[in-house]
Amino acid sequence: MSEFLSIFEYQFFRNALAAAVLTSVLAAMIGTYIVSRKIVFIGGGITHASFGGIGLAFYLGLNPFFGAAVFGVMTALGIEWISKKGKVREDSAIAILWSLGMALGIIFVFMTPGYTPNLMSFLFGSILSVRAPDLIILLVFCLLLIIVFAVFFRPILYTAFDPEFARTKGISVDAYRYLMSVLMAVAIVLSIRTVGIILVLSMFTVPQLTAMLFTRNFARIMPLAALWGISGSVIGLMAAYLLDIPTAAAIIFFLTIQFLIIKLIVIIRDQLRRERFRQ
Amino acid sequence: MNKALVILEGVSTGYFSETVLKDVNLEIFPDDFIGVIGPNGGGKTTMVKVILGLQPLFSGKLRFPGGRPKIGYLPQASQIDKSFPITVHELVSSGLKSKYSWFPHLSFGQRTRVKRMLEDAGLAGISSKPIGELSGGQLQKALLSRALIDKPQLLILDEPNTHVDKQFEQELYGWLRDLNKEMAILLVSHDIGTIFPMVKTIACVNRILHYHPSNQLSEEVLKIYNCPVDIIAHGPVPHRVLKTHDHE
Ligand SMILES: Nc1ncnc2c1ncn2[C@@H]1O[C@H](COP(=O)(O)OP(=O)(O)OP(=O)(O)O)[C@@H](O)[C@H]1O
Ligand SMILES: [Mg+2]
Repeated sequence: MSEFLSIFEYQFFRNALAAAVLTSVLAAMIGTYIVSRKIVFIGGGITHASFGGIGLAFYLGLNPFFGAAVFGVMTALGIEWISKKGKVREDSAIAILWSLGMALGIIFVFMTPGYTPNLMSFLFGSILSVRAPDLIILLVFCLLLIIVFAVFFRPILYTAFDPEFARTKGISVDAYRYLMSVLMAVAIVLSIRTVGIILVLSMFTVPQLTAMLFTRNFARIMPLAALWGISGSVIGLMAAYLLDIPTAAAIIFFLTIQFLIIKLIVIIRDQLRRERFRQ
Repeated sequence: MNKALVILEGVSTGYFSETVLKDVNLEIFPDDFIGVIGPNGGGKTTMVKVILGLQPLFSGKLRFPGGRPKIGYLPQASQIDKSFPITVHELVSSGLKSKYSWFPHLSFGQRTRVKRMLEDAGLAGISSKPIGELSGGQLQKALLSRALIDKPQLLILDEPNTHVDKQFEQELYGWLRDLNKEMAILLVSHDIGTIFPMVKTIACVNRILHYHPSNQLSEEVLKIYNCPVDIIAHGPVPHRVLKTHDHE
C-alpha cells in the first residue's frame, strides 16, 4: 500500500492526475452539449481534422497543438456554416474534412525533415508528460467554460434544443452556435493532449451517457458527467500504473466499465420492478 | 376596423430553387381565428415560418403595421426532439424573453409567472420531468404553455392535434376559444372537420395556384382548389384562400 501511495510523490503523476480531472471537467460540459444535440459525428470530424494541423505545425516548426487548434476551430466553424447553408449534406462534408485532415497530417509529418515526431503521443495522448504550463491552459479553459455556461446557460440550452423557437424569442442563435463550435473545437484539441485523437471522443460521450442513466436534465447531466469522468479517469490512471498498461486506453476502458455496470444495475432494477408489479 | 398585426404581401418563398409558396397575400387582425388547411407538403409550415420571420423570402414583403407583435409559436410535433434532456420547467421558461439580451437570466417576476403557468396548465406535478417522459397530450400542453407564457398578441399552432386523443383535442379547442378573446390565433390543421365550427376564417394552402374571391366554403370549392381535406361539417364559413403554385 505504501508503495502504491508513493506514486503520488512523483510530480509527473500528480500532473497527470490534475490533467485527468481538468480534462474530465471540460469534457463533461462540452460533451453534454454534444450528446444532447446528437452531434458526436461533428466531434469526430473536428478531432480528426485537427490532425492535419498537427502535421502542418510540425512541418513549419510550430507548436503542434497550436496547429491542431487552428484546424479544429476552422473545421468546427466550417461545419456549422455548411449546416446553416444546407446546400451540401452535412454528414458528407464532415466525412471529407475528417479524412482530409488525417491525410494532410500524415503527409506533413512524412515530409518533415530529420526529426520524426512521436505520432503515437498524438494518437493515444501523453498524459504522463503533462507539465505545469499545460495544466494552466487546461485550468483557464475550464474556468472560461464554467463562466460561459453559468452566464449563458439559458440561450445555450434553448438554441441547442429548438433553434427556430429560440430565434422567435430574439436570441442570436447563430452567434451562440458559432460560439459553441469554437469552444467545442478548443475543448477537443486540449483533450487530445490527455487521451489522444483516437480515444478523445469517449471522454465527451461516455460519462454523459452514464450521467443520463440518472437524470435527463441538461443542467444536472453536466456536473454528474464530470464526477463520472473524474472517477473513471482517476481509476484508469491508477490501473495503468499498477498494471503497466497504456494510460489513455486504461482511462477509456474504465469509463466504459463504469457505464456498463451502472447500465446493468438499471436493467436489473427495472426488471425487478416489473416483476413486483406483475404479482 | 382594427390595424392588422401581420401582413404578407405577394410573398414567394421556398427552399433553394424550389418554390413552395407563390404570391401569398394574407392579413392577420387582432381578433382573427384563422384555420389553415391544406395537403401534406402544401406549404402550411413554410407559411408559418414566413410569419415568424424564420423563412427568407424570394420576393414580396412581410409587414407589421403596428410594430412587430409578440408571437407565441407551437411547432409541429415532428420538429421537437423528444429525447433532448430538457425539463418541462425549462421548456416553459424558454418562452420568456429576458429583459437584457446580454444578461439572459429571468427576473423574479418571470420565475413566478412560470410557476403560475405550470399550475394553471396542470403541469406543476411534472415540472421537473424530462419532456421525453410525457404523454402526447402533456407535451402539447407544455408546448402550448411555452407559447403562451409571454402573453402573445398572435398565437400560431402548427397541427397541435397530432398524437393526442379526442378528449384532449376538445379540451384544447375550449382553451383556444377563450384565448381568442385576448389574441389572434392561427391554427394549422389537416382535420378541417374538427376546427370548422370554431375558426372564424379559413385559409387553404395547397399546391395549385388558385384564388377564390368568395367567402363561402363548400366541398365543391375545395375540390376546385384540389385541396384534399375531409370536410365533415357543411355550411357557409367565411374563409380566405391563398395563392400557391403547382409543384409539377
Ligand atoms: N427544410 C426544408 N428543406 C427543403 N425543403 C423543405 C424544407 N421544409 C419543407 N420543405 C419542402 O417544402 C414543401 C412544403 O413543406 P411544408 O412543411 O411547408 O408543408 P406542410 O403543408 O406544412 O406539410 P405537412 O402537412 O406535412 O406538415 C414540401 O414539398 C417540403 O418537401
Ligand atoms: Mg407542416
